[in-house]
Amino acid sequence: MAHPSQLGFQDAASPLMEELLHFHDHALMIVFLISAFVLYIIVAMITSKLTDKLILDSQEIEVIWTVLPAMGSSQIAILSLRILYLMDEINDPHLTIKAMGHQWYWSYEYTDYQDLGFDSYMVPTQDLTPGQFRLLEADHRMVIPVESPIRVLISAEDVLHSWAVPSLGVKVDAIPGRLNQTTFIVNRPGILYGQCSEICGANHSFMPIVIEAVPLPHFENWTSLMMAEYT
Amino acid sequence: MSSVLKLVAKQVRSHPALIPLFIFIGGGVTMSVTYLCRLALKNPDVSWDRKNNPEPWNKLEHNQQYKLFTVNMDYSKLKKDRPDF
Repeated sequence: MAHPSQLGFQDAASPLMEELLHFHDHALMIVFLISAFVLYIIVAMITSKLTDKLILDSQEIEVIWTVLPAMGSSQIAILSLRILYLMDEINDPHLTIKAMGHQWYWSYEYTDYQDLGFDSYMVPTQDLTPGQFRLLEADHRMVIPVESPIRVLISAEDVLHSWAVPSLGVKVDAIPGRLNQTTFIVNRPGILYGQCSEICGANHSFMPIVIEAVPLPHFENWTSLMMAEYT
Repeated sequence: MSSVLKLVAKQVRSHPALIPLFIFIGGGVTMSVTYLCRLALKNPDVSWDRKNNPEPWNKLEHNQQYKLFTVNMDYSKLKKDRPDF
């Protein structure tokens, strides 16, 4: 989750988010270089005592300030297209989960496990235990195994919602009547938080997504427990 | 048409800085137009001939690659996991 006064991205929990972080750093560096250069030129122009009233054009500088920005832009464009195509790849998911948005909670269906399904409501602020995060905790977490490709199918039962988990680099709209698909791999065990990202009514800010990534044996234990309770 | 080209050639000779401009803008326009034509002609969501090829999106093989390039994925290795109709 984000920490107070955080400016940058959350730590990446999936390889795709790592790629996004690196691309962002690369593009931001180019932008900083250009901005620093422009700022320098502005200051140099303003503070210079040299003037030449007879300069009309210059072919050399025109070539330079055509070629250099084109090279900078193509640097950004090529990497951006690479990561765009990378985001669309689906590498044989091991598990499929359906995340359905409701007003105002998420429900998760693990139909690979015989009809397992449960709702995930936000823990109200007055019911939080010490150490829990306000407006981010949910009563049932979406538990998944680490280092396995997971496919999540996202839809909604009433109005538009959006299933977003920033540390995985995932944000997918939940549209009633439509099934959207996303795949990801979680690199490390941990708890990942996200919030509904499409305005959906009074409690839009109060329907968080909590993913708990655990090693596979733990996941299998959890599914056995949940199947006993919820199927 | 050739008078336009002659005019452009004359301007380029006196302003050679226009050459990289033509290269980059021309390249960009070429790439955009080529991609549009690829979308129009090869996209399986597009149906030109409603009588002979009404639903081309149903004719995609499970390991057929439509995307222009792939980073990590080998389409030829995909297994078929959907039913035949």
